[in-house]
Amino acid sequence: MVEVKNLTKHYGRVTAVRDLSFEIRDNEILGFLGPNGAGKSTTMNIIAGFLPLSEGTVTVYGHDIKEDARAAKRCIGYLPEIPPLYPDMRVEEYLRYCAGIKGMRHGEIKAEVEKVMRRLSLIDMRRRLIGNLSKGYKQRTGLAQAIIGDPKLLILDEPTVGLDPSQVSELRKLILDLGRDHSVILSSHILGEISAVCSRVVIINKGELCAVDTIENLERKASGSLTLNLTVEGAQADVSRVLSEISGIKETDEIADSEENVSSFKLKLEDEKVRQEITSALVKNGLNIVEMSMERPDLEKVFLELTSKKAPKDNADNK
Amino acid sequence: MFALYKKEIQSFFYSPFAYVLSALFMLIFGFAFVNRIASMQSSVFQFSFPDMFYNNFFYFVFIIPLLTMRSFADERRGGTEVQLLTSPLTITQIVLAKFFAIETVFLFMIALSMFFPVYISLHGTVIWSSLICGYVSFFLWGTVCVAIGMLFSSMQSSPIIAAIIGEIVMEGFLFLDQFAATKMVESYPHLNAVITWFSMQRRFVFFAQGMFRLEDLVFFLTLTVMVLFWIILHIEKRRWSHR
Repeated sequence: MVEVKNLTKHYGRVTAVRDLSFEIRDNEILGFLGPNGAGKSTTMNIIAGFLPLSEGTVTVYGHDIKEDARAAKRCIGYLPEIPPLYPDMRVEEYLRYCAGIKGMRHGEIKAEVEKVMRRLSLIDMRRRLIGNLSKGYKQRTGLAQAIIGDPKLLILDEPTVGLDPSQVSELRKLILDLGRDHSVILSSHILGEISAVCSRVVIINKGELCAVDTIENLERKASGSLTLNLTVEGAQADVSRVLSEISGIKETDEIADSEENVSSFKLKLEDEKVRQEITSALVKNGLNIVEMSMERPDLEKVFLELTSKKAPKDNADNK
Repeated sequence: MFALYKKEIQSFFYSPFAYVLSALFMLIFGFAFVNRIASMQSSVFQFSFPDMFYNNFFYFVFIIPLLTMRSFADERRGGTEVQLLTSPLTITQIVLAKFFAIETVFLFMIALSMFFPVYISLHGTVIWSSLICGYVSFFLWGTVCVAIGMLFSSMQSSPIIAAIIGEIVMEGFLFLDQFAATKMVESYPHLNAVITWFSMQRRFVFFAQGMFRLEDLVFFLTLTVMVLFWIILHIEKRRWSHR
């Protein structure tokens, strides 16, 4: 398990990351979300041991990144935003070098490089110069250097940036596959990617923690109430009267409808059970339901809601 | 650490880099050699090689920064510095691996230049004691310059700028003697003593005369170690102030 406790990073007078605390469990893919400039890369660089932290602790599988850096770094495979590649090296030669600097023994390197190249489908590219590879293969080679030596924790900083859609979906599959036997932190500002791959999400904004939770919980919490779109055959006044008798409806918005004798509403419900009450009340009063659909808040709304909540407070701070 | 050393060596020898620089080095040496022979008075080839080394050094300081300019600047520019610093290697190991790799290329160049004394020994007489002293001092002087070149490479993300600054500083070192001999500096004996102490040229002269002084050996070695230590500190400092 990786624990980040009260992590703070100052750059001179500027505080890039303030009091972050979260944990990465074994064999889980943790999404790291935030708008550009939120402090994602800084946090990842600190966990990977590239940047020193100002306050707090980061413990990687029992090793403190500050006190016991070498042991902690042995547990980490890091793919930074720009993959660290040497264009004048060949793929296999480069991966052997990476295995070497990670402290693998000479006898183990050949088998390990072979295994990693097979897993990432790089076998056909082994003799190619990295500088001549396509963007997708470069990214794969970058990922290969991260997983070489089988580190327990993988830190992937925006791994799909600049890839075409088919490469993105291939890379996602790879990450999901890697998540079975590694703990993964995946940063991105593409929400679809996070919801497709990750089980839990950390959302940060302006260096501060906004939320740490599963995607489902976040969606539930963020909306506060459920929204129901309802279209009923009948006069608006009649329907409104029926609806007003149901106590579980928090808010009723009438939507002007062009069709005659059909009325539409947007309702905010306390919980899902209210939906059944509405159905039976409408049927009892002889009103036919044309359409009824629940509106689920997607991750994008959650994200926007959480990241915009913090903004006024920060503005006040700046003043 | 060996993996990094090997990669550095490969980056020199798998590209034309080491060969072009060695060719340039041999060209300079060859010119000095031919000039020397042309100005010979006696019919027997017997001349002091350290003299040649000494004359060569003014050109050689232009080659060393080219050898060292990429060591750290390229890693920074290509984003591979992150990989090195997040690997289990310590900064000291990284610096030493790079230093020894460049030293190996430097030794390769020196080995090539042995062609000239071998050629002389076939057709004339070589003064071996002064030749060996000449090589030792040339190597020690070069080693200091390698460390200085690496220092400027660690401070820059552009290899060319690192090379130019390195060249200026090394030329400065070469002219330290002349600077110490100016009337202004001579009027301050303490300043003069310090500057003279740092003058590598003066120490080179002892070697050239076939004198192997422990003091000079210690001087070159401590200076190299100090500069290498400075590089380590500088990289560590940059980690802290990195944005």
